Amino acid sequence: MNDERLERYARQLLVPGFGEAAQERLGRARVRVVGADAVASAGLVYLVQAGVGRLWIEDAEDVSPSDASGWLFAPSAVGSPRVEAARAVLAPLSRFVSIEPYPKGGVPTATLVFASSGPQALASAEAARRAGIPHVVVEPDAEGGALVVVPPGAPCYACARSTAGAGRPAQPGIAALSALGAAELVLMIANPESTPGRRIDLVRGVATARPTSRLPGCACGGPGAGAT
Amino acid sequence: MSASAPPRVDVRAYACPMTYVKAKIALERLAAGERLEVWLAAGEPVENLPRSAAEDGHRVLAVEPLAGAPGAFRVVLEKGAGAAPEWP
Repeated sequence: MNDERLERYARQLLVPGFGEAAQERLGRARVRVVGADAVASAGLVYLVQAGVGRLWIEDAEDVSPSDASGWLFAPSAVGSPRVEAARAVLAPLSRFVSIEPYPKGGVPTATLVFASSGPQALASAEAARRAGIPHVVVEPDAEGGALVVVPPGAPCYACARSTAGAGRPAQPGIAALSALGAAELVLMIANPESTPGRRIDLVRGVATARPTSRLPGCACGGPGAGAT
Repeated sequence: MSASAPPRVDVRAYACPMTYVKAKIALERLAAGERLEVWLAAGEPVENLPRSAAEDGHRVLAVEPLAGAPGAFRVVLEKGAGAAPEWP
């Protein structure tokens, strides 16, 4: 890795266990991000600054006035397609990261889900599970929210997901949840074997993690599904 | 690798955190017990690098002025067995 990249990712390279090989693995990653609203803002910035090689953003909506409460969109972006508006902000942050709309049929190596509905979150997570790739699903709520970390073979999101309300208010604390979701995904990309399946609740800045468990009869526990 | 000639990293031209990043990457390439010699500038680099290395589980065997290079220091590190491994 040349000095330019080393300087760019120096702080990340100082994380214990995270070194040159992990950074290069990130650089080869293709990350699909489902949803690009205000909740996703900090997570998208995190992924770019962490140095994922290719960022595929999937969101069919336009920037709404509430999206401007996040970290990504200026009020002037309201009304423009979220993907293009996000790309316009993110692309100048790093020449090492390619930022594109999610290409139909694209094959990601990891997925980060900021879905706008429960069914969309479930479908996106299930697609990632079937592809055998690490994924994180972020579930915001008014006080913070939760995220579900699903390395390959772990209990699926359907087994682990929250049953709490699915409101999506964009509050300042949501940025911490969003960035935490991205950070968990980055660590899984860097070393998929190092992370257990878990649910992390973040309420007013306090994180609580617990292992996820498989629901009886769930397809994610079928032959070849991997260890729990 | 010869025991009398450990690999060397010259980071005198760099500032923190690059000084330790360079050393850390060089250490990742060594086996536990192998040594690394680091040349670095006085001041913050020589204050921080040995501490960071120790915190990561490496042994600091020497911190001494670098012969023939005023204002520079030579630090010898030994990779610790318990140091966090680079992920494969």
